[in-house]
Amino acid sequence: MTVQTPNGFTLDTAGKRVVVDPVTRIEGHMRCEVNVNDQNIITNAVSTGTMWRGLEVILKGRDPRDAWAFVQRICGVCTGTHALTSVRAVEDALAITIPENANSIRNIMQLCLQVHDHLVHFYHLHALDWVNPVNALKADPNATSQLQQQVSPSHPKSSPGYFRDVQNRLKAFVESGQLGPFKNGYWTNPAYLLPPEADLMAVTHYLEALDFQKDIMKIRTVFGGKDPHPNWIVGGVPCAINIDGVGSVGAINMERLNLVSSIINDTITFVNNVYIPDIVAIGSLYKGWLYGGGLSSQAVLAYGDIPDKANDYSAANLMMPHGAIINGNLKEVHDVDLRDPAQIQEFVPHSWYAYADEKQGLHPWDGVTQPNYQLGPNLVGSRTNIQQIDEGGKYSWIKAPRWKGHAMEVGPLARYIIGYAKGHTEITDQIKGLLGQLNAPVEALFSTLGRTAARALEAQWAAYKMRYFMDKMIANLKAGDSSTANTTNWRPETWPKEAKGVGFTEAPRGALAHWIKIKDMKIDNYQCVVPTTWNGSPRDNEGNIGAFEASLMNTRVERPEEPVEILRTLHSFDPCLACSTH
Amino acid sequence: MLETFYDVMRRQGISRRSFLKFCSLTAASLGLGPSFAPTIAQAMETKPRLPVLWLHGLECTCCSESFIRSAHPLVKDVVLSMLSLDYDDTIMASAGGAAEAIVTEIVEKYKGNYILAVEGNPPLNEDGMFCIIGGKPFVEQLRYAASNAKAIVSWGSCASWGCVQAARPNPTRATPVHQVITDKPIIKVPGCPPIAEVMTAVITYILTFEKFPELDRQGRPKMFYSQRIHDKCYRRPHFDAGQFVESWDDEGARKGYCLYKMGCKGPTTYNACSTVRWNGGLSFPIQSGHGCIGCSEDGFWDKGGFYDRLTDIHQFGIEANADELGKVAVGVVGTAVAAHAAVTALKRARDAGDKS
Amino acid sequence: MTDTPLSEATAHPNKGRAIKGTTDLGPSYRGRTGSRFDAVYVYEAPVRIWHWVNAFAILALAVSGYFIGSPLPSLSGEASDHYLMGYIRFVHFAAAYVMIVGFLFRIYWAIVGNRHARQIFVPPLLSAKWWSGIWYSIRWYFFLEPEARKYVGHNPLATFGMHFGFVWVTVFMIVTGLALYGEGAGMASWQYRFFSSWVIPLFGQSQDVHTWHHVGLWAMVAFIIIHIYAAIREDIMSRQSMISSVTSGWRTFKDNRPIDEDH
Ligand code: HEM
Ligand code: HEM
Ligand code: NFV
Ligand code: SF4
Ligand code: SF4
Ligand code: F3S
Ligand SMILES: [Mg+2]
Repeated sequence: MTVQTPNGFTLDTAGKRVVVDPVTRIEGHMRCEVNVNDQNIITNAVSTGTMWRGLEVILKGRDPRDAWAFVQRICGVCTGTHALTSVRAVEDALAITIPENANSIRNIMQLCLQVHDHLVHFYHLHALDWVNPVNALKADPNATSQLQQQVSPSHPKSSPGYFRDVQNRLKAFVESGQLGPFKNGYWTNPAYLLPPEADLMAVTHYLEALDFQKDIMKIRTVFGGKDPHPNWIVGGVPCAINIDGVGSVGAINMERLNLVSSIINDTITFVNNVYIPDIVAIGSLYKGWLYGGGLSSQAVLAYGDIPDKANDYSAANLMMPHGAIINGNLKEVHDVDLRDPAQIQEFVPHSWYAYADEKQGLHPWDGVTQPNYQLGPNLVGSRTNIQQIDEGGKYSWIKAPRWKGHAMEVGPLARYIIGYAKGHTEITDQIKGLLGQLNAPVEALFSTLGRTAARALEAQWAAYKMRYFMDKMIANLKAGDSSTANTTNWRPETWPKEAKGVGFTEAPRGALAHWIKIKDMKIDNYQCVVPTTWNGSPRDNEGNIGAFEASLMNTRVERPEEPVEILRTLHSFDPCLACSTH
Repeated sequence: MLETFYDVMRRQGISRRSFLKFCSLTAASLGLGPSFAPTIAQAMETKPRLPVLWLHGLECTCCSESFIRSAHPLVKDVVLSMLSLDYDDTIMASAGGAAEAIVTEIVEKYKGNYILAVEGNPPLNEDGMFCIIGGKPFVEQLRYAASNAKAIVSWGSCASWGCVQAARPNPTRATPVHQVITDKPIIKVPGCPPIAEVMTAVITYILTFEKFPELDRQGRPKMFYSQRIHDKCYRRPHFDAGQFVESWDDEGARKGYCLYKMGCKGPTTYNACSTVRWNGGLSFPIQSGHGCIGCSEDGFWDKGGFYDRLTDIHQFGIEANADELGKVAVGVVGTAVAAHAAVTALKRARDAGDKS
Repeated sequence: MTDTPLSEATAHPNKGRAIKGTTDLGPSYRGRTGSRFDAVYVYEAPVRIWHWVNAFAILALAVSGYFIGSPLPSLSGEASDHYLMGYIRFVHFAAAYVMIVGFLFRIYWAIVGNRHARQIFVPPLLSAKWWSGIWYSIRWYFFLEPEARKYVGHNPLATFGMHFGFVWVTVFMIVTGLALYGEGAGMASWQYRFFSSWVIPLFGQSQDVHTWHHVGLWAMVAFIIIHIYAAIREDIMSRQSMISSVTSGWRTFKDNRPIDEDH
């Protein structure tokens, strides 16, 4: 039986059903089921968020100033982005402004997360979809050295001896028979296309990136005291600045600024020398594999982020793109209003939640989060042993957010498409540069590989923007402004009896916003609509499928029992399930 | 060829001489005579890496994120050379049935000889289906993986205490590991998240000394959790002097005064932040200007506002801090006493009138 | 030790004065002395000394404790020039040990002292008479009885209040206080081993112990307000002396009708 979805996909459940649960190398817990026809082409895709903690329920009745710490624990991978979104929501509700330095520090922290998250995602969660570590054992270290020098002439770690050492270590590891995280991988699957020397280079960078990523986050440790889960405050940042006065050792001082500055430089170097060249190298060997576009060519959404000047959240002041593209029309980028009750709404007919009227969507200010676990009539298995889920009924802990009724894709690719469509010069230059190197058309962007490439470009952009805000902050300090917090409305007695606000960021995985209602100094309602809520959403009342499901459609899989291609495409979104359901 | 502890130590530049010395120290610390040193050396030279299953329940995965920030040892050395991380759904190559088969294999093949590490915790409401793995409740996977484990490591505040999802009203009935698995030794490494180097130190201690480190009554390793943040805080002289940050970014904040009045929970929090510090010893919350929120303590989410020195009492449905509550109670008592005195005086005057 | 010897009783300066008449102290007194008394030695010197030492220790604890919870405004200058919080905490701990040692001594005296010394520690919880005495006292405080009953020791309501409002609150403050102290003294200290190690997990965590110890402050303050008021009022309204008794030890009576309870 085939069904046509309003957003243009033809679903056919006739073929064999393949189940992947757990989907691994993601954050949190997720299940995916697909139907494949006799040519091994995916004809139906069902993605299920398989965890829920109830943060929105837990937040009710608490002090709005504490909310950041709770919502930060929605996710330890995109750690901090929820906290930033939260303090912005509270500041919006209570009309609190922040000093310029606080804006710069927050931006540096957010950009730092972007680089870190993208880097760790590519090497440690995504790479094994493209790279075969077992195959790396066959590589000639000399050939790898040559490849390295060719793709990244300025990267110092490129000698044959270096690659031989890594290879020997890998060999000892594999020969021990204890394969650890590589155990039961799909290493004989023909979907892996890299030659051994590229595999060895990538595995080497897997290890280099693992060593380096911990240094990037030191930037956030300086300002936030620790990472994961640094500290924030409503009204600014908690770290005071005291460059040279009495007691400056107890604050952000010259030594701390130097530390941050030097890590920013190292980060730029690493991204330029390792990450981007690897994307080019791997991309050029896979550029024939252009599955996975899904919604990206039709409907993408971004709220924008990184305010240049403090307290101005208008699109013009945001350095990351803002807007929505629908029906594949790149010529028109719509404005997005997070306060308009008709624009962003969440639906639950296929989600494990209850609404009074499930035909309607709810704008998050009026959002309701009430769990309701029940399964459709065509379930195979039982309530506590799901063998095959029924997507006709409720089937996920993720709600279905829609923008003016459209299922949207969010994330680095969405941002880059919107930036490209709006003529954002830095983004356009980056995209053109990469496509030129790969000798690929713009359409190649609308794919799994495009998503992975956009993420790398964004990491590069973010690394340079850290430099920009560091310089900006130092100029501001030079001009004599060292303030980091505004405490005029800190005390709850100064607040109105009722208030509501919305805060947003561009999280590594896409557009993120929190809506808060405050009543009698306490949280009355708190609703989060998160990037992976958008991308991983189940069907809505009209039957539109979400970005994950759409992206898997029509993909050919080499061996249905080995879900390499399914993982590859799902991973290209960098799914975060703890985020998606919160 | 297996890479053994000895290989690892050699690669890390430890000489044979100090390796043997290490073995005799180990023998001594295990209460064995010096004659056992060669046996230990022999075992270390040939022993395969200990399998570890790292399960994830309801969580935010920041414990894993923290783990990979370890500066010493580097996490690549831990994973490649010290232990065998056979199952960890956040980083493993395989998925679905192929991944689940690994749990079965380890549980069956390494009876009593693998470590179970748990990040996050199982929800018990809705038959456990607030966290589903392989179509079944996570708590089932947890129970099964625990069944043959040598010991369990509870990573972070989620596994140790319940953490944020267990905060009032705990809609999923998220439950710490030790309340579900009661027949295995459990070491708790609380923190939200725990410090990276503390995590790797706990693991390497277990591998090196082949036993748990000394634990306190609640199952935390004393080596990192026997003192409060406040006991070793570098701002302590300002506390003793009575010098406090009174509001954000004030003069005291810029001079690094004590954060007690900003709600710092350092005086009630057992953790190593003020000594080991974070991200390679770089800083910790207080050093970067924010009070400790007590993230390694049981139920720290429900102790009132993070910015209040005196925190809430929730018993009997009261939500007020000790001073608010006390002042009201004393006010009531005082008023009652005053009223009583007035009535007494009145009555006395009347009685006196009656008599005259 | 037994009851006050006759010689001491007769030596009392108040004897024959300030009293409208002599009191029939009931068979037990009459039996031993063979005569009627107008004053009885109730509070032995150690109890009186303890009472006032304890009162001042608690005053110091309450004030210092309050400022531990809500410190004074910050001092400027170098940290090494000041030790304000340190002194406040020192006062708290010094007074705490005075109170603890005093309390232990008071328990010892309850065993060896006269029977009045035992009263607040062992209320006759199983005696119906005592409970009806409490009820009577309540009615008296609500102005529903025309006259207070006459007691040698504490009236039943006072015994009840002293036992639950003072003795147990004191035990609670000592136990929680030592548990908090043990946290700073370290895991090797006796305070930690005997108190912190079980008190803290019992309450949940350290912060809970602080909070409940702090609530104890207000419980104690409430006790003190009621106690002092009752002492002054009873001094005026009841049929026996109060304030002078806890300074001199002697209980004197304002009428010579029989007493209701000799305890
Ligand atoms: C912190 C302050 C105080 C505390 C904790 C306290 C506690 C006590 C206790 C426990 C007793 C019973 C003694 C016993 O039977 O062993 C007692 C008796 C007494 N206290 Fe206090 N006291 C305090 C202050 C005062 C003050 C300021 C006065 C004077 C106005 C006072 C007047 C009395 C009197 C008159 C008695 C004897 C009551 C009776 O005979 O029934 N107390 N006090
Ligand atoms: C009537 C008796 C007592 C009163 C009214 C009292 C009152 C207080 C108060 C209000 C606090 C502040 C609590 C907070 O907000 O964190 C405190 C702290 C403390 N008290 Fe007491 N206390 C009493 C007895 C004791 C005793 C017997 C000890 C035993 C050593 C003790 C040891 C402590 C300690 C160690 C602290 C914590 C000090 C700190 O955090 O720096 N207290 N007390
Ligand atoms: N989805 C998501 Fe997050 C991100 N990026 C947050 O908003 O990962 Ni945990
Ligand atoms: S303990 Fe804290 S840091 Fe660790 S997974 Fe739980 S919420 Fe995240
Ligand atoms: S900042 Fe916190 S931990 Fe440090 S001395 Fe002050 S109260 Fe203690
Ligand atoms: S908040 Fe947590 S990180 Fe350390 S300083 Fe406090 S225990
Ligand atoms: Mg939500």
